[in-house]
Amino acid sequence: MTTTDLLEPTGTVLNIQHFCTHDGPGIRTTVFLKGCSLRCKWCSNPESIQPKPELAYNPDKCIGKAQCGFCLKPPFAEGAMYVVDGSDDKIHVNWDLAGDCDAETIDLCPTGALHMFGQRMTVDEVLDEVAQDSSFYRESGGGITLSGGECLLVPDFSAALLAGAHKRGFNTAIETGGNVPWRFFEKVLPHADLVLHDRKVTDPARHKKWCGVDNVRINANFEKAYSTFPDTKFIARTPVIPGVNDDEEHIRAVLASIRPYPNVIDYELLPYHRYGENKYNFLGRVYELHDFQSPSPESLSRLQAIIDEAFGRGGS
Amino acid sequence: MPTSTKRIAINFGGGYVPGLNALIAGTVMAASEIGWEVVGIRDGYDGLLFPERYPAGGLLRFDREMVEYLTGASGSVLGTAARSDPFHVRAVDEDGMLREEDRSDELLDAIRSHGIDAVISVVGSAPLSILWKLSRKGLKTIAVPKSVENDMATTELSFGFDSALSFATETIERVRRAAESTRQIGIVEVPGERAGWLALQSGIAVCADAILIPEIRYDLHKVAEKLCEKAESGRDHALVVVAEGATPVIGAAPSSDSSPVDSLRASLSPGAFGEQGAHVIERSGHVAQKVALELQRLTNHETYPLVLGHLVSGGPPTAADRQLGLAYGAAAVRALQDNQSGVMVSFQPPELKFIPLADAINKARILPADSVFVQVARALGISLGD
Repeated sequence: MTTTDLLEPTGTVLNIQHFCTHDGPGIRTTVFLKGCSLRCKWCSNPESIQPKPELAYNPDKCIGKAQCGFCLKPPFAEGAMYVVDGSDDKIHVNWDLAGDCDAETIDLCPTGALHMFGQRMTVDEVLDEVAQDSSFYRESGGGITLSGGECLLVPDFSAALLAGAHKRGFNTAIETGGNVPWRFFEKVLPHADLVLHDRKVTDPARHKKWCGVDNVRINANFEKAYSTFPDTKFIARTPVIPGVNDDEEHIRAVLASIRPYPNVIDYELLPYHRYGENKYNFLGRVYELHDFQSPSPESLSRLQAIIDEAFGRGGS
Repeated sequence: MPTSTKRIAINFGGGYVPGLNALIAGTVMAASEIGWEVVGIRDGYDGLLFPERYPAGGLLRFDREMVEYLTGASGSVLGTAARSDPFHVRAVDEDGMLREEDRSDELLDAIRSHGIDAVISVVGSAPLSILWKLSRKGLKTIAVPKSVENDMATTELSFGFDSALSFATETIERVRRAAESTRQIGIVEVPGERAGWLALQSGIAVCADAILIPEIRYDLHKVAEKLCEKAESGRDHALVVVAEGATPVIGAAPSSDSSPVDSLRASLSPGAFGEQGAHVIERSGHVAQKVALELQRLTNHETYPLVLGHLVSGGPPTAADRQLGLAYGAAAVRALQDNQSGVMVSFQPPELKFIPLADAINKARILPADSVFVQVARALGISLGD
């Protein structure tokens, strides 16, 4: 690591999304970072899981070996791409070998069928792009939201981004699953105005089944965070997956955990959707929840009513 | 030609197939004839990468007396690894975080430190690319093809296939009797992600009414039409054999949702399957269920799906697979004796040859449209769904 790295940490940024309205107050710019410490089966951003830039392939954009074929020759790694005799002449990807191709090589694909998810960026590069939306922040009370992946996995980069955003007068928020060592929380949370955090499944064994790890450390981190950072606002969230966590027991367990803390200002339900399904195809993975459906409006209303009651909102 | 090889290892990548123990026997017996020692690496490369998991050691030393009795035994005394990729090994760091490590250099060091001069790896399509990468990093290696689907390119017969074919045929015959007894349509799904050899050959052997394979897109309306014709002539049961990779013609599935898995598979390499990612799952049973539901709608006849799946990979090897396992093991030793490396043993009747690994990867042995088996099925009046 060089001195420059220490002064100016870099991170792997997946995407900077402008004009977001669901990732905190007002109009926001959401910065998606790569790398996640959970493996939720319903993940709608599978391209954010691996920390390094990674290859994706969209066969619909491939024009085939006869018209193109660049990727079948050096500098592409030998055997990484191939065509199959007898089928159309679109390329296939050998995912075991394609990982050896670098971003510059992938950029040689003229149609963009091959694409690298993620690029290294400095704090200033990110903030300069985010600042383009600053006029909207003033009007709407918005700001920057760090998402992922898991933004707490790169605590130095995230802390520098949020501190830099504060210096520029932007409101700051993070989205986190909380599965990191506590010291990462300690680095980042002092710079966050709002923490949107997931409480996915109550039972530790079931949490491990659906998210790859149990929730013991996650729950401990959040409960410690609520009391350690009393001036920071928290909003708990549950991605509602029918058959996994759309039960009253889970909702009531989360409420019991958050209601003692006045700085946990809300609990939101995020209905399961399958918008990310195609991205699994592009990454050479199989989407597991192939047969899952979104929760019904009735089911969501029933669960929302429990939350509203706990927060003393509406209803009789 | 004299060679310096003295101690060789054998390991298995991918799942079980009948005949693995015969292959060990062939390797050990041939090696002992020239005074070489053979050790087995447990569970793919795990025996070397995770020796702490094996109280008795990650390597198993073989001698001739031990293996002579193994040729007919089912399973594998060495174990195997569904996914053993030293370039991407999952590890948990001191903070309890999941990460991937490239431990290929460590593996090669471990092989050297155990005095192992070369490795004979018994692999299916998926691990072949990984073996090729190791070979390019300096591992002296010979690949032996195994596949119950017989879809390994550049070899006419992978060992394991004949045993799977025998088992599938016997089981499907039982399904026929059950269908006859219950007056239903039996739908039997057999392995065959990319190639329909197992479905077609076992289906022909039991005179199935329809056989659906990946190489020929099926239209269930046509299959239903055929089954209804038979029903009108008084036949109140039917039998359909379907390979797990069979796909419908575009726009032909009447009411089922289109499977993203079907379109996905067109762009996936063999290496995309297995335990590489948390999101990779076993899709076995998907096609049987889909076909059974649709045929029930289209024929107004009760159907029941049965998935053979991994059942075909268990059980003892047939005589053909015993011979092939023994022959492949002996041939791999001969290749090392001839100072070959980075090649796969290939059965091209009547000879056993050696094919560079680079020529074996990224290929599948699929049924040609003019295959004699396709012709036989059509001649017998079996619907192929087209």
